This record gives sequence, C-alpha cells and structure tokens, in this order.
Amino acid sequence: MSEIIAALDEKGANKLLDTAIAEMDPFYREGEGNLGPFVAGYNITAKLTNGDVDLIPPGTIRIVDLEVDWSMELSFGLDLSSILPELCLPEICIDIPCVGTVCTPSICLDWQPVTISLPFSDHLKTTVDLQLAINLDGGQWKVEAVVLAVPELQLGPASTALLAAIAAAATPILLMVPFIGPFLAMAVDAIIALIAIAGATGFLGPIITPFISGLRIELYSQPQVFEVLPATSAVDPKVDFVIDAVAAEVQHNAPEDELVLTADISA
Amino acid sequence: MSLTETEAVFASIHETALNDLLTAFFTDRPRYLVYGSPSFVPVTTVAETSMPAIPFPGVPDGIQWRVTLGIPKVDLYKPTMPLPPELTLNPGQFSARLDVELCLNCRRLRIDPRPPRPGTAGRKDDRGGSDKPQPLARLTCCKLSVFAVGHLEHVIAITGEDAIALAVDAVEIVDIQPDELESVLECLLFMILQAVLAEVRLPLRALRVGAFELTPVVGPLIEDDQIKMRGNV
Repeated sequence: MSEIIAALDEKGANKLLDTAIAEMDPFYREGEGNLGPFVAGYNITAKLTNGDVDLIPPGTIRIVDLEVDWSMELSFGLDLSSILPELCLPEICIDIPCVGTVCTPSICLDWQPVTISLPFSDHLKTTVDLQLAINLDGGQWKVEAVVLAVPELQLGPASTALLAAIAAAATPILLMVPFIGPFLAMAVDAIIALIAIAGATGFLGPIITPFISGLRIELYSQPQVFEVLPATSAVDPKVDFVIDAVAAEVQHNAPEDELVLTADISA
Repeated sequence: MSLTETEAVFASIHETALNDLLTAFFTDRPRYLVYGSPSFVPVTTVAETSMPAIPFPGVPDGIQWRVTLGIPKVDLYKPTMPLPPELTLNPGQFSARLDVELCLNCRRLRIDPRPPRPGTAGRKDDRGGSDKPQPLARLTCCKLSVFAVGHLEHVIAITGEDAIALAVDAVEIVDIQPDELESVLECLLFMILQAVLAEVRLPLRALRVGAFELTPVVGPLIEDDQIKMRGNV
C-alpha cells in the first residue's frame, strides 16, 4: 500500500487543469510558411483554454473542447504582373501633312510588386488525449500530462476566415497601385484563388499543430527533498523528508474515475 | 467506493509515513525531545532545550533535572501495536509508544550552621559558602516505556498553513509500584507529552506531499491506519 495518496475526481481534475493551463506562458513562434504559392512570414502568439476533462482509466486524460486562441501578424509579397494582364498603351500613328506619319511608342506599365501585411486572430477547439508522465529530474519530481498523438485540427473555419482577412487587407493596398482600378476585383479574386482554402490550411496547420502536439501540462512538481517546515530560528532549522517514489494513474473507483497520485517517503 | 466520495479532492497518509514525518521532525529538531535545567542544558541549542531548575528553598540553584524523550512511534486506528490493558485504541484515535528518561542531579546539601534569616526562603543563598554550585553528587535517572492514546487536532502551523497536531488523551506507564507513584509519573508525563506534541504541527501540505490543493471539508480523521481528509480544490 502506498504511504501517501492524493486523488482528484473529474471535477477536481477540471479545476486543476484550468489552473495549470491558465498559468502556462503563451506560445510564441515566428518563421515563414507556404501560403499557397506565396511565402509568408509570420509571428504568432497562442494561448490555450481548458475544456472539459474526462478521466479514462488506466492513464488517459481527455480534454474535450480545448481552445486555442491565437493572434498572428503575417505578410507576403505579391508580384501583380503574375496575376494581372499586361497593361500597354498601343502605338498610335498620325499622318501629318508635309511631315509624314508620326507614331508614339507603345508604352507598357510594369505592375509593381506589393507587400500585403495583416493581423489575424482566431481560435479553434479540439479534443486531445494526454497520458501521464512521471519524472525525477534534477531533484524535482514532476507529473505531467503529455499529448502523445498529434490531434486532427479542424482548420476549415479558420482558413476561410484567413482568406477573408487577406482579401480585406489586400484591397486598400492594391488601391494605391496606379491604374489598377479596373483590375482591383480581379486582383483580389486572383490572390484568394491562388491561396484557396487548401493553401490557408496548409499554412495554418504546421504553425498551430505543434502548440497542441507538443503540449505538456504540469500536474505535480515538488522537490525530492520536501520541506515540511522552514527554519524559524537558529535552534529550529528547517524540517524536511525525502520523496522516494511517485506514481500516478487514472483509477475507476466506482462510481467515479479519479486521478490518483501516490508517494512513498523517508525521513 | 471512490476515494473522493462526495468531495473533489482526497488525501491520506499511512501511519508508516506519519512515523517517517515525525522522525524527520525530531531528527531535524532534536531539542523538542530533550529538556533540562542549566546543569544539564546550559543554553538552548538545536539539540536541547534549556529550562529553569525547579526552585526549592534551601536547594542552591534549585533542583536540576532533565527529561529525554524517544521519538514516538504512532499507530493509527485500527490497532496494530499492542497496548497495556489500561488503554484502548478507539476509532478516530492514535496510540503512541515512546521511551522516556527522567534524570535528577541528586546532591548532598550542607546545612548552614548560622540561623536562617527571615525572607530568604527561595532566594539564592547569600550567606557565603553555599552560593557556589554544589558538585554533581550523583546523576540519578530512570527509563520508562510510556504508552499514550489521543486524537488529532486541526491547528495552524507556524507558516500559517492548515496543520494537524497530536493531542494526548491518556498516558500509561506499566508496572510501577505503588500505584500512586505510577499515577504521579503518568500525570507528569501526560502534561509533558501534551506540551511536546502540541508543538509538532504538521502542515496538511506535507501530509499530501504537496499534491493537489485541498481545502478540508471532511477530516482530518483517523481510519484504516491512515489520516484522511477530503475537501475542495
């Protein structure tokens, strides 16, 4: 029999994970990704919010509706000449008496490349299964809930929202391009068509998935030499004991499923 | 049956771990086991607690004494440790067994031939000759095996945390004759043990090795050789 037992029911586990997830620092990363045919630079900050905890014996903690909220700054360069038709003023010739035929040169406009930058925020909900991992590392006992399988993230709505945001951001930028007026709608449509839902999903997926797939939620962390009482005077030094072993599992103790942590100690 | 029952959090500590915890406390702070007057313990240190001598008229510097307790071994209900027939371990109680050594500095006193002056009883002798501490005549000690039963008290530790203390309800010393002497010694040790164990305040945080925040709603209570508590996160 274990010397020390601590247990949480699902309601308690929910509160524990609420707190543990809320205390996690926001995730941050920056880099480049393929946004359809474009290479987009980004920086992203993401924060998680706990969902509903389901304890599944013997060792699974399932979080239903784990929410990922993120905000991102992204930018990508766009070569308009690749999506808009060439705009040329044709050669015009005039016959002038006594002079002959005079022609203006044909003039073609070069579409200047533009950079589209936009902030984008969204969220998604997912369900993850976590398993318990127990480690004694550097004199510190830790019990963590760790995501082992990469979850399937439903990025469809976020991708649609990203395309709409890109369209909204592109319009004022393109309006500053000379002579684009008649082609504005065409340009925006072309950008969205080039990226498409698949491009947006392919961009968001590799950025957001690691926030979930690498998730480690700390459930317990205590030094192996556990301080019972601090030193209060020269004649009353601190009191401590040694935590020799720690174990954790999900148990079905009818009628409840419980997260149970056990420990053995020595003086 | 679930561990948490109708609450969200459960924690328990088995008597073996409780004894480890008590051993840790008394090993780190042995002065809570050794008390003596200045002849034995001139100053309080980590190892010993200095106490006044017992003042008595005509005994220069008072009666010198020392009490040395062993680390108590605690048994939580249900009983696994034998007790003398005078004690019964009831549900919700703990029993404890420990060794105690009582020592006196037994001195031969010299009678001062001068007449006593009024109002000097209990004061330090100022008539010369007897104001120097008498040399140790004989260290007189006895060792006793002491049994006790008691219950838990929910207290606050020096850190401000919820804690438990072991409250002694009764003490028994076996086979001392006459019975009245046994009663006197039991009374003495009853008071000493109550006072000593009241100082040993073990935070609930330590009883659950820091796992899961717990605001007690049920307990701490003793059952199944464990201290159990249930509460909210």
